[in-house]
Amino acid sequence: MNNNPYRFVINLPLKLILTLTVSSVFYLNGCATSKTVENEKDPYEQFNRSAFKFNDKVDGYLAKPISDGYRYITPQFVQTGVYNFYNNLKNVNVVINDALQAKFSQGAQDTGRLAINSTLGLVGIFDVAKNIGWEQNEEDFDQTLATWGVPTGSYLVIPILGPTTVRGVPGAAFDTAANPATYIGGAVNVVSLINTRANAEGALKFIDEAALDPYIFTRESFLQWRNNLATDGKSQASYGIDLDLESEESTPMKEIKK
Amino acid sequence: MIFRYLKFGIICVSMVLPTTKVFALDNSTATAKQVVEKFQADLISVMKNGKQLGYAGRYSNLENSVTNSHDLPKIARVIVGKEWEKLSGDQQKKLEDLIIRLSISSYAHNFKDYAGESFSYDSEEETTRGGILIHSHLNIVNDKPVKFDYMLKETGTSWRIINIVANGVSDLALKRSEYTSILQQEGFDSLVSKINDKINDYSKL
Repeated sequence: MNNNPYRFVINLPLKLILTLTVSSVFYLNGCATSKTVENEKDPYEQFNRSAFKFNDKVDGYLAKPISDGYRYITPQFVQTGVYNFYNNLKNVNVVINDALQAKFSQGAQDTGRLAINSTLGLVGIFDVAKNIGWEQNEEDFDQTLATWGVPTGSYLVIPILGPTTVRGVPGAAFDTAANPATYIGGAVNVVSLINTRANAEGALKFIDEAALDPYIFTRESFLQWRNNLATDGKSQASYGIDLDLESEESTPMKEIKK
Repeated sequence: MIFRYLKFGIICVSMVLPTTKVFALDNSTATAKQVVEKFQADLISVMKNGKQLGYAGRYSNLENSVTNSHDLPKIARVIVGKEWEKLSGDQQKKLEDLIIRLSISSYAHNFKDYAGESFSYDSEEETTRGGILIHSHLNIVNDKPVKFDYMLKETGTSWRIINIVANGVSDLALKRSEYTSILQQEGFDSLVSKINDKINDYSKL
């Protein structure tokens, strides 16, 4: 698998799904500070950091070993098929949220995607729709709530479930209820979780390598990524830092002591 | 930073053609778009030869490309925010040097494989403060394209990258949150130590 940084971005949704379902895997260095600086997006940072560490332990001792075993014994085409199967079921959610957000044109395509993959794609094992140019859209109830004007709320890290926001909690509950995979059965869901964890390996490895403080790295990328999804990529918030540049530019480097 | 809702079934633009043009340009007269395209072309070139070059070769090949296309001194100031003013001149210089080394190391470590990726230019726009935003995307075989937005500011007579936003995630904002937090909570020496560790890790992994 390609290890360039872009792979992280590509896999980021998988990582986030993972952290919402199993746990997150990150190094602990930098996370164990007792002092925290209050952040308006993260007023519960101390608790969140503790939950983050806990999730890291759970992942390290449980989820990752199982995932590694799964990846070792399972051929890539099987992993892809399993991923496609669960992704196809998730499209029921996508279609519902398309409608709730009044995205009727996109909803029509997503409905077609679901229909084609469920039939020609053999219950979703093969992503036939992708081959005809119907890319997967990402819609969920958290985005729907954003469309309806519900504010994001504080950042939260929930033990076992991972990062979310106050708005994301009811969003996740609705999505879980609307996803047919929820009603298939425990064993099937376990496979789904293992497969999701396995697919996120590359992204988690990237965070391990790149982050000076994995907690903050995860929080910032999660919040920005969710904001980008909620605004369909139209948000300029990510560029907002540019507005700060003027003041930074006016601050020259100090004279170096000899 | 990056990129959603763009649909590209075909790689429209080969990076080779713009590369040959851009390489011939004087950097001081290159447009913002040309600066980005040359940098992207250099990355693809290093990726294609990544294994043969090894880490040291990739670092060497990318050193000029990164420093000539990015305004790393400015990036170093921005990512520590107001903490910059609290640092001594020696600390500021040390941090700036470390950020430059870390940036090049990160590229050299991560851009070591090639699997048919290519960049495509989409559009550009001026920002309210005189910057230019270049919209582009990375085409990946059998995967969704990734949207990359490069923010450039004019430094002297040339355009330099100061931020990369991938699918809505800003590299500068992300680093700024990390670095300011470490400076505030653990101090300058801890930040320096962590950055040095990353640079060392990149050279070994």
